[in-house]
Amino acid sequence: MIKTQLNKIPLILFLIIVFIFFYLLIIDRNPADIPSALLNKKAPEFKTESLLKNEIFLSENQFDGQITVVNFFATWCKPCRDEHKYIQRFSNNTKIRVIGINFKDDSEKTIKWLKKYGNPYSDIATDKNGLIAIDWGVYGIPETFILNSKGIIKFRHVGPITKKIYNKIDLVIKKIR
Amino acid sequence: MVPLIGNFTLWLSLIFSIYQIVIFYKKKNFLSIKLDAIPVYGLLISSLLSFFFLIYSHVISDFSLLNVFQNSHTTKPLFYKISGVWGNHEGSMLLWILVISIFNYFIFKSYNKKNYSFISIALETQALIALGFILFTILTSNPFEKMPNIPSDGLGFNPILQDPALAIHPPLLYMGYVGFSAVFSLSVAALRFHNNENIYWYNYMKPFVLAAWIFLTLGITLGSVWAYYELGWGGWWFWDPVENASFMPWLIGTALLHSLITVEKKKSLQNWVLLLGILAFLLSVVGTFLVRSGILTSVHTFALDPYRGIYILLFTALLGFYSLTLFKLKSKKYANNNRILFFSKEGSILINNILMIVVCSTVFLGTIYPLIVEILSKNKISVGEPYYNSTVIPIIIPAIIIMGIGPFLSWGKENKIKIIKKIIPSIVLTFVSAMLFFFFYKSYSFTGIIGIVLALWIIFNNLTIVFQKKISQPYGMIVAHLGIGLLILGITGSTVWQKEKIVRMNINNEININKYNIVFKEIKEITKNNYVALRGNFLVYDNKKNIVKILKPENRFYTITQNFTTEVAIHTNIVRDIYLVLGEGNKKDGWIVRVYYNPLVLWIWIGAFMIALGGIISMNSNLRKAKYL
Repeated sequence: MIKTQLNKIPLILFLIIVFIFFYLLIIDRNPADIPSALLNKKAPEFKTESLLKNEIFLSENQFDGQITVVNFFATWCKPCRDEHKYIQRFSNNTKIRVIGINFKDDSEKTIKWLKKYGNPYSDIATDKNGLIAIDWGVYGIPETFILNSKGIIKFRHVGPITKKIYNKIDLVIKKIR
Repeated sequence: MVPLIGNFTLWLSLIFSIYQIVIFYKKKNFLSIKLDAIPVYGLLISSLLSFFFLIYSHVISDFSLLNVFQNSHTTKPLFYKISGVWGNHEGSMLLWILVISIFNYFIFKSYNKKNYSFISIALETQALIALGFILFTILTSNPFEKMPNIPSDGLGFNPILQDPALAIHPPLLYMGYVGFSAVFSLSVAALRFHNNENIYWYNYMKPFVLAAWIFLTLGITLGSVWAYYELGWGGWWFWDPVENASFMPWLIGTALLHSLITVEKKKSLQNWVLLLGILAFLLSVVGTFLVRSGILTSVHTFALDPYRGIYILLFTALLGFYSLTLFKLKSKKYANNNRILFFSKEGSILINNILMIVVCSTVFLGTIYPLIVEILSKNKISVGEPYYNSTVIPIIIPAIIIMGIGPFLSWGKENKIKIIKKIIPSIVLTFVSAMLFFFFYKSYSFTGIIGIVLALWIIFNNLTIVFQKKISQPYGMIVAHLGIGLLILGITGSTVWQKEKIVRMNINNEININKYNIVFKEIKEITKNNYVALRGNFLVYDNKKNIVKILKPENRFYTITQNFTTEVAIHTNIVRDIYLVLGEGNKKDGWIVRVYYNPLVLWIWIGAFMIALGGIISMNSNLRKAKYL
């Protein structure tokens, strides 16, 4: 029924589609690039316990005057471990403040975890029930926000930070400055 | 301990799949069925065991496993602890492998001295598919991955997933998707082997196509049932990428099922069937790719991990390249120049096949269009209902009209006047009852009229066949087609005449919807094991002031996960649903209440289950036939 010349059409179409998908996977697009409704808006404020210091964590005190990287993480999340070295690199830059938000996690375990892998955060807010994450519209852990010195969200990345994303964030930070 | 054994059985199934590929690769002769059975049984048992071990870990809440920790919780009811096994990515891959092995076993069941050269190619291909997915699981999604330290309780407690319909929906869908793997393997085998033994390969394929198609039908239906009862959006189909991913293989499967009948009867369309057999499975895998790679975002998107996407895509590319190249090179041998008459049974099947493929491509295009736009213009768009309604419906209409006549036609040449005589009763009945319908219902809309006429057309045609013809009826077909008729009736009713009201209500407020008067009587706070809820009491009165039903929608707050869900309250009868959702609010300002009047929804479920039932009936007769192979 199918003419013999038409035999190759399915193969060709299939290859085109696969090619498109490959392109999408490889290019610097990430499905995690979900436009945040909070972009260019002030970061939602919150008040919670600090994990590192024996005091209340007040977001309004933490998010202004300096460019801030806000990183939602948890010890149970494997990708968080993978991106940890990049978070560390941010903290090496003295002009940036790195704040962690510990999502649905056990405090003791987190302290142990930080001892093992190093602590890049200048302060960590605990988000035991995940309510802060809801306010921030967090899509999945890990997730990272870049705030300018006025506490306005300039960039958001869902998923682990890779080399590519690190460079991109670096550019964003330079631009903000 | 369990993680260790689980890993062991997983690796064991990897070994068995490789072993199976080796022994069935270019099998020259048939030596011993017992010897050949070793990898098949080995694969089946080892994948069954690893699946069982994962279930066991979930049941005993073994939080030393990352998978259990992330997806389970000690307070979960046992039933949902078990269904939670396949509610997550890693666990569902184990189920996927298990189903591949089960179908592998059924292919092997037909293995004998006569057909060994054909079946061994199918078994080799099936083992290759198994190998691909086992490797994928081990490399990127191992459910037996350990936790660095053992936490006291788990994280997973998504209450929206705790629904009986959703517990059995994924396994059914996987049985459907993966069922097509057997069809794929048999298609590859049919292309590859030298058919000098004159093996009727299509007879082997039919039961697998039917099985996959039945499971897919049931899986899609249950998914819709869940969306309707649990999501509280008033609808049951949202053209979500994942819904499309299941709908596309279903369309191909439907086309395949019908063209297989043509092959059986007329030996024509053989290479068309092989192509569909390959495409059905490829589309299933592509669908999985779309969901699991995170390339598209949808309500179903699983954990994001770029490696998974790359792996599945590479594997799909391999399967597709292999099978479609084979098709290009070898399908010639099944080509024949039988002319197909337009006005014959095979003609009607072919036209409907083409229309199914067009619908499938349309849906496919709609699904990936946002991605293409993103590449070309960097804009994010979303394709939704308006696109699908305006493209799919016009293509479906001629398909339905032909579907009504098809069963009356005979194979080969057909006397046109005879046929017209045969269908006159159903034409008359359709128009008379459609006019009666609108005489009483008095709500005219173009799509409404078309939908009702088409539904009645299918129903009366099939009833006519039952009354007109002899005893040898393909009852499976009649039941399934009647199901389609009822389904169209339900779809038309619930989309064209749906009424929706969203209001803020206080106690003792009333709302009117389509002759019903709904009074908000009281609101109560209730406390249950793992949630607290606000439950509204609504009295539904009809236009004679009789109480029809007290509806009690809930607004639940799950304390463990801190999320809100809504429990819809629905009153169903054969003509309509009253669908009530209690939203946010407080005593002072009142509560937001959404009320839907959804006509004929029940017929969607009845229709869909009848379609599956038709498949089951026809399965029965096909298995009887398969016994003689």
